[in-house]
Amino acid sequence: MYPALKGSQLRLFDDAQIHTLHEGVVRLLEEVGMKVKSKQAFEIFEKGGAIVDPVSEIVKIPREMLEKAIKIAPSKVVIHGREEKHDAVLEKNRVHFGTGGTVMYALDFETGVRRVTTTHDVRDLARLVDSLDNIAFYVIHTYPADVAEEDVDANRFYWAITNTTKPIMGGMYTMKGLREAIQISEMVAGGADQLRERPFVSFITLMVTPLVMDGHYTDFLIEVAKKGLPIAVPSEPLAGATSPVTLAATITINLAETLAGLTLAQLVNPGTPTLIGTTSSIMDMKTGTYVAGAIESSLINAGVAQMAQYYDLPLYATGGQSDSKLNDCQAGYESASQAMTLGLSGANWIHDAAGLLECCTTVSYEKTVIDNEIIGNVLRVLKGVEVNEETLAIELIKKVGPAGNFLANPHTAEHFRDEFFMPKVADRLNRITWKAKGSMDTHQRAHLLAEELLQNHRAKPINPEIRDEIRRMFPGIKGEDLV
Amino acid sequence: MSNVLEELNQKVIEGKLEIVQELTRQAIAEGHDPEEIINQGLIMGMNVVGVRFKAGDMYVPEVLMCARAMSGGMEIVKPLLMGKEIVSAGKVLIGTVKGDLHDIGKNLVAMLLESVGFNVINLGTDITTEQFIQAIKEHKPDVLGLSALLTTTMLGMKDIIDQLVEEGMRDEIKVIIGGAPISQEFSDEIGADGFAPDGASATELCQKLLA
Repeated sequence: MYPALKGSQLRLFDDAQIHTLHEGVVRLLEEVGMKVKSKQAFEIFEKGGAIVDPVSEIVKIPREMLEKAIKIAPSKVVIHGREEKHDAVLEKNRVHFGTGGTVMYALDFETGVRRVTTTHDVRDLARLVDSLDNIAFYVIHTYPADVAEEDVDANRFYWAITNTTKPIMGGMYTMKGLREAIQISEMVAGGADQLRERPFVSFITLMVTPLVMDGHYTDFLIEVAKKGLPIAVPSEPLAGATSPVTLAATITINLAETLAGLTLAQLVNPGTPTLIGTTSSIMDMKTGTYVAGAIESSLINAGVAQMAQYYDLPLYATGGQSDSKLNDCQAGYESASQAMTLGLSGANWIHDAAGLLECCTTVSYEKTVIDNEIIGNVLRVLKGVEVNEETLAIELIKKVGPAGNFLANPHTAEHFRDEFFMPKVADRLNRITWKAKGSMDTHQRAHLLAEELLQNHRAKPINPEIRDEIRRMFPGIKGEDLV
Repeated sequence: MSNVLEELNQKVIEGKLEIVQELTRQAIAEGHDPEEIINQGLIMGMNVVGVRFKAGDMYVPEVLMCARAMSGGMEIVKPLLMGKEIVSAGKVLIGTVKGDLHDIGKNLVAMLLESVGFNVINLGTDITTEQFIQAIKEHKPDVLGLSALLTTTMLGMKDIIDQLVEEGMRDEIKVIIGGAPISQEFSDEIGADGFAPDGASATELCQKLLA
C-alpha cells in the first residue's frame, strides 16, 4: 500500500456552512435536476425513482434517492498498482498526487519546441512517473496523435500498463476503445475476476456543467459501472462562465453534478467503486478563456474536498497546474500554491499535479520532475512535526550543552532523512560552486535528472507471452516495446 | 581480503562505531597486521564514503558518523603500531579569526579533514594573530586554515598572512581561507594559497596543496 499522508488541516467551512452547502446540493437536484442525454441513463434513473420528464430530458433526484446513493457507495476505493506497494487506498483525508490531462502537446525533450504528442509520450511519461517517488499514480495525460482515433484507447492503456506499476486511470474516446482497454487489462490481470479483485486500471467519465449528463460519456460510465471497475465522475464548472462567479455556488453545482453521476453508478451496479470529483476552475475575466493555474480553482477543490469528507466519499480532485508556457517562475509558484492547498485539503486523488503547462494543454518532462519535487515539499508539510521523547531530544541537548553543536551527533545522522525533505532539483549551492557546475537554472537541472531517468528506468515488465499475445490481438497498438 | 576486514569496511561505511570497534578487536585477535587493519579495513571503507559523499548519495551527518566509527577503530589499533606512525595526510591548524565567533563551518572542515586522514589542530574561535603565530611555531602544521563569516572580520586574515611574511615563516606553510563572504578574488588579493567554497572542497584543496 502507498503510504499516504493525511491532509485536511485546511478547513474552509464550519458545520453550519457544510449544512447550507448540502441543502443547496439537494435543492439543485430536486428543483432543477440534470438534463440526461443518455437514453439508457434516463431509463435507469426513472426506474430508480427519479422524477423524469422525457420531453426536456430532465431528471430530478429526490433527497432520499441521493442520500441512499451516498450511503451505499463505498467510502473506500482502492485503485491497485501492478505492484502492491503502489496500491492507492482512497478514503477520508488520505492524500495522493499524480498526473492528469489530457493534453495534445508536449515540449519536446530534445528541442524544447512544442509539438503534438504521440504514443512515445504515453510510454515515456509512464516510465518517468514510475521512477518518481512523490507521484503516486498515472492518469494517462497525453493523446497519441500518431494513431487512428479508434486505436487511441488501446494504445493509451497498453503503453501505460506496460510502463508503470503504479495505479493507472484514463479517460476514454470510443466505446470500442474502452472495451479494448478493459480487455487488455483483463489479459494482464489474468482474467475479468482478477481485474475486478485488484483493478490497476480505472476510468474517468464526466458531467457537463451546468447540470448536463452527456450521452456519449454517460454511456461510458454505465459500461464501466457494469464491469464493477473504479470510475471517477467529476464535473468541471468554470466559475463566472458555466457556473455562477461565486465560489460557494460553483462548489454546490459541482457537488450536485458529481453526486448525480455517483447516483447513476450506484443504480447501475450498487457498490461500484466511485470517486466523486472536481476539475473546476475559473474563467479568466481579462480574456474570457479557461485557466488552470488559478488559485481559486484550488479553493473550489478544497471546498469540495471538505464536503467529500463530510459525505465520506473518496474524491478525485485537481491541482498543481500552471498557465505558464515554460518552466519559469510562474510555473513554479502557481503549481506549488495549488499543490499545497490541495494537499492541506485532504483530497484523495489529486490529478493534474505533475507535468502540465499552458492551461492544461501541454506536458513537459522537466516540469514533471519539478512537480515531483513540489509535491515532495507538500508531503513534508503533511507529515507534520513529530513530538516524542526522541524528537524532543532534551537529554541530547543537556549532553551537548551550551556552545556545542549537533552536526556530528549520531542523533542528527539518525533523524535527518526523516526530518528534512531532500530536494533533488533545488539548487542550494553557493554561487561559486553553482557557477562551476554550469550556472544552471531549474529547467536545466530538471532536464538532466529527467534525462537520466528516461535513459535508465524501466518499469517491472508484464509477462512477455501475454504482451506478445496482446500485440497480436490488437494490431492497432503502435510502437516498439522497450527492453 | 579476509572476511573481517571486508566487514570492517562495510561497517565503517554504515557508520557503526561499536561494531567497528568490536570487529577491530576481532581482526587483532585473528592475527591481522595492525597496518593491514588500518589500510584495508578502516581507511578503505572511508574512501568509499568519500566517493559517495561527492556523488551526493551520502550527507554530512552520515560522513561524520563514518569518520567517528573509523577513528573508534583507529584508537584500538594505534597502540599496536609500536612506534610506527600512521601515515598522516598532513597536519592542519585551523581557527576562526579575531572578533568572529562562528564555529560550525570551521568545525565541519576540521571533521571532514580528519575523516580523510589529516591531523587537525582546532584552535576554536576569536583567535588573534599572535595566538595563530604562536600555535604555528608550536605545532609546525603543513596547512593553516583561517575562517571568517563576517565581512568585518575577514580583513583580519590579511593581518595574519602579513605577519607570517614578516616573521619569515610564509614559505613554510600553505594558507587556506574560507567562510561565506570569502571569494577566490579575496584569496588572491591577500596572498592566500587557496580558498574553498564549502567544507567538502576544503579537503580536496588541502590534498592538492600538499600533493
